[in-house]
Amino acid sequence: MATPLRVCAVSFLNAWPLYQVLLEQPPVGDDGQPLFELQEALPAECARMLADGECDVALVPVASYLEHPEWEVVPEVAIAARGAVQTVVVVSELPLAEVTTIHCDAASRSSLLLLRTLLATEGLHPTLVPAPHGTGVDRVHGREAALVIGDAAFDLPARFPHRIDLGAQWLRLTGMPMVFAFWAARPGCLQEVHIRALHQARDRGLKQAEALARRYREGRLAAGLPAADENFYANYLRRTIRYRLDAWEREGLVEYIARSHEAGLHSAGEVHVRFAAREHEGVATSRRAPRLGSAIDVDRLLERAAGGGRLELHEGIVLYEQASTLALGDAADRRRQALHPEGIVTYIIDRNVNYTNVCTARCQFCNFYVPPTRKDHEGYVHSKEVLAQKFRETEELGGVQILLQGGLNPELGLHWYEDLFRWTKRNFRLKLHALSPTEIIHIAHLEDMSVREVLLRLRDAGMDSLPGGGAEILHDEIRNRISPFKNTTDEWLEVMRQAHAIGMRSTCTMVFGFQETAEHTLVHLDRLRRVQDEALARKSGGKGGGMFTAFIVWPFQAEGTRLKLRDDTSAWRYLRLQALARLYLDNIPNLQVSWPTLGPEIGEVALRFGANDFGSVMIEENVVSQAGAHFMLSAADIEHHVRQAGFVPRRRNMQYELLEVA
Amino acid sequence: MTATDSARLSTIRAKVHEGEPLTLEDGVFLYRYPDLLAVGSLANELRERINGDRTYFNINFHINPTNVCEADCQFCSFARLQPGMPQAYTMSLDEIRHKLVERQGQPVTEIHIVSGLHGGVPWSWYTDQLRVLKQVRPDIHLKAFTAVEIHFFAQHYGKSYEEVLRELMDAGLDSMPGGGAEIFAERVRRKICRDKASADQWLQVHRTAHRLGLRSNCTMLFGTVETLEERVDHMLRLRALQDETGGFQTFIPLAFHPDGNRLGKLPRPTGIDSLRTYAVGRLMLHNIPHIKAYWIMIGLDTAQIAQSFGVDDLDGTVQEEKIYHMAGADTPQAMTRSGLIRLIREAGRTAVERDTLYNLRWQDDGGPLPGIRSLEASMPYSRRDQRVELSVL
Repeated sequence: MATPLRVCAVSFLNAWPLYQVLLEQPPVGDDGQPLFELQEALPAECARMLADGECDVALVPVASYLEHPEWEVVPEVAIAARGAVQTVVVVSELPLAEVTTIHCDAASRSSLLLLRTLLATEGLHPTLVPAPHGTGVDRVHGREAALVIGDAAFDLPARFPHRIDLGAQWLRLTGMPMVFAFWAARPGCLQEVHIRALHQARDRGLKQAEALARRYREGRLAAGLPAADENFYANYLRRTIRYRLDAWEREGLVEYIARSHEAGLHSAGEVHVRFAAREHEGVATSRRAPRLGSAIDVDRLLERAAGGGRLELHEGIVLYEQASTLALGDAADRRRQALHPEGIVTYIIDRNVNYTNVCTARCQFCNFYVPPTRKDHEGYVHSKEVLAQKFRETEELGGVQILLQGGLNPELGLHWYEDLFRWTKRNFRLKLHALSPTEIIHIAHLEDMSVREVLLRLRDAGMDSLPGGGAEILHDEIRNRISPFKNTTDEWLEVMRQAHAIGMRSTCTMVFGFQETAEHTLVHLDRLRRVQDEALARKSGGKGGGMFTAFIVWPFQAEGTRLKLRDDTSAWRYLRLQALARLYLDNIPNLQVSWPTLGPEIGEVALRFGANDFGSVMIEENVVSQAGAHFMLSAADIEHHVRQAGFVPRRRNMQYELLEVA
Repeated sequence: MTATDSARLSTIRAKVHEGEPLTLEDGVFLYRYPDLLAVGSLANELRERINGDRTYFNINFHINPTNVCEADCQFCSFARLQPGMPQAYTMSLDEIRHKLVERQGQPVTEIHIVSGLHGGVPWSWYTDQLRVLKQVRPDIHLKAFTAVEIHFFAQHYGKSYEEVLRELMDAGLDSMPGGGAEIFAERVRRKICRDKASADQWLQVHRTAHRLGLRSNCTMLFGTVETLEERVDHMLRLRALQDETGGFQTFIPLAFHPDGNRLGKLPRPTGIDSLRTYAVGRLMLHNIPHIKAYWIMIGLDTAQIAQSFGVDDLDGTVQEEKIYHMAGADTPQAMTRSGLIRLIREAGRTAVERDTLYNLRWQDDGGPLPGIRSLEASMPYSRRDQRVELSVL
């Protein structure tokens, strides 16, 4: 008979969804015996007990893990926050820069390390004094502040004029989520059954967020503590705290370890997080270039970026918010010139073919789709006859490629695409720049296959490269609002990662105008840059040439869509974003202007704001033209506008190789 | 771009800083200098020195009382030469009055009145246009008749410029628009507008108007057959008159629209050429206070960007405009006040509603705009909260 594992969980509300179910319905093994024996403690105490062998599994602060790399981590579970966390805050009467002492709650090591990392970045050096859990707040006075963690932060009196949320601050600095804690175990004791039980406990716990919130509130009232309404706590559990260790959280974890190491706060340089019992890529600390001091000077940032120096996320935000448009454009123009000194602006002749308009995603911003349930005749799937006609016309116009994208049509399986691609390759000389990540994910779900398998099969059938559509804003806060039924940011990026890993090239995009903030925008750029870093590392390691070839940004076309937003785009913002992207995406070689949405006049000007490619002639386009973009240009028109901007126009293919025109 | 070019730009920059007038060669150099943004930021410096971060607009509407015209300009899609030809029209005084009556209650402060050169009507038809409008609203500002029309009236009705202007002023004329200047170079006028007032006549009309106390604007039509030298020469002639009279308020470069006229084979205006012309215009015409982008012609997008290239005026919320729309301008005919303010605000400028003489009527204080949702209000609670906190550290 197996002995139950001794589990130590944190008693804070934010841990409840992870372990309350274990108390209520203790999971049992195949032999009917309980899997776990549970007790509660403060975070730092959980770590001590695990280190001293007083328990087998514990919810530990990430900082404690750095001292115990032998521990195994339960995959896919964490306590994390993407931005403001509410329960890790520094409060004071004076601005932080004037604070001399911070009383730090001794209950969590992670928060303390986070605070020290943030202070080191800001160049601030107050004395940090340990305080027993829950006592720091009473010592806040004048130049003395307190780091308050856990549920105590809910009761913070409104008397503190300064309150800094460390989760929000971390996002501001790095653009990444903060992982505060995860389940760790003594090596070798966790089996698959335990991991499954912990996952199930988390999933069930989250489903009961409202019940947990109610119970928590009642408990507080019973103890004579002030309590907010139930929704407040439920919102905290459902939205503020994130319980999955997704790709972005893992990236945030790496960043946290690396930054605190750079700041000299621990000696664990290269950390490989070891996940228990599952094949899981360990995450390692990445090396990064040294940073600037804390004083941020817009001109110096622009100078550095124009010279090819890497911008950090918070620096990108500063430029987004503060740099003048002409200064941004000038820096981007210099960067473009350094990357493309020949004075050439390229364009491609291809045709945008939307093979079906039937789509299950129901995105609010789309005017093009027809849901599969609609019983009228508006839905279409192009026949081979129709496609052959379009493809032939494309070849006759000197086109070299088909940009093939469509809706998420549940009728079209992998075989349909494989057949279509093979038929295309047999009958035409056209390259297939086909299927955005969203469509790849759709096919993978439909066929119950992995993304990688789908990509391999499609590549074998003739797919040459992937367009970067469906990205919109790569930040789930925005995606949840505008396209809740579509893939998440992590999923989108994972398709690109997999495509690059098998040697395929792709483009990447951004659509702005969904009322996103500077943070949303910069996080989008940052995540693309990271995926490209991985691709380039793979490439220089001789593992294939898959990568992003180009980035394209355009404004959301609101006209007639169901999204109840007034159009908040403009040419002004477009030029700023494009210039910022040229500077921030230091590893993506090409930037395309998006003249179909803005018109060729702004397209021309955009060539002086960092772009080096005029995109494609427009033989056919159905999606944005359904929402109010109506520009058409021939190759001769494009060349006229390119010359106006002072460049030599040249045709290219998707690999950005120049083509000789007969 | 050579080192000599950069040195030349530095010399020009020094002149701009000193308030020294630029030469013809300087202007052509600025037109040809490859770094568009460097020229733009120099123009922007001067713009900010003269007008701060203000971008002006006014609420006006246009009346084009007739399109019958004795001139036969190659670039015009509006003139229809003879009465009775298809699409030719001449409004009655009642129709003209009705244009204002139907706007009763709207916050319009100015009417912009421009016509063809129609000699088949009595002189009183022109003066009475002004009278009937003033009868409806005595406080409305009438900005009417280009120098070309004034010159035509003088010739056709046998009066001097001064007599024409005085009679119009008696009838209610408050100021003059700047149209009809096209390009002053004789070579170009012969090709595109040989029937029209000459450069000297155009300038003499404005000189006279300024002497009589009228303010006026001036324009330049670019993108037909002129050279860059001829554009800069045009600016210099305007600058010389301004040195003499000080009566010009605003310089308005007008991009040529090719559709529907006999110069249709010429390429459409381009974004870069427009921006550069604003910038060079700002720098050459340091003695004219305002540079206007006529958004109805170049589009809101380019007009918004132009605010960084010397432009400080985005025209009004034009309610009805026929001339450019007959030549293929595809901009929305009326722009709402909120929409215009949003574009100005987003470009980091302060929107100022002015009257015709640039008196301040309203200044943007950053408050909510009717019909425009603020970004912050649409963010989820936690985000807004967080942004407040972020500003603390």
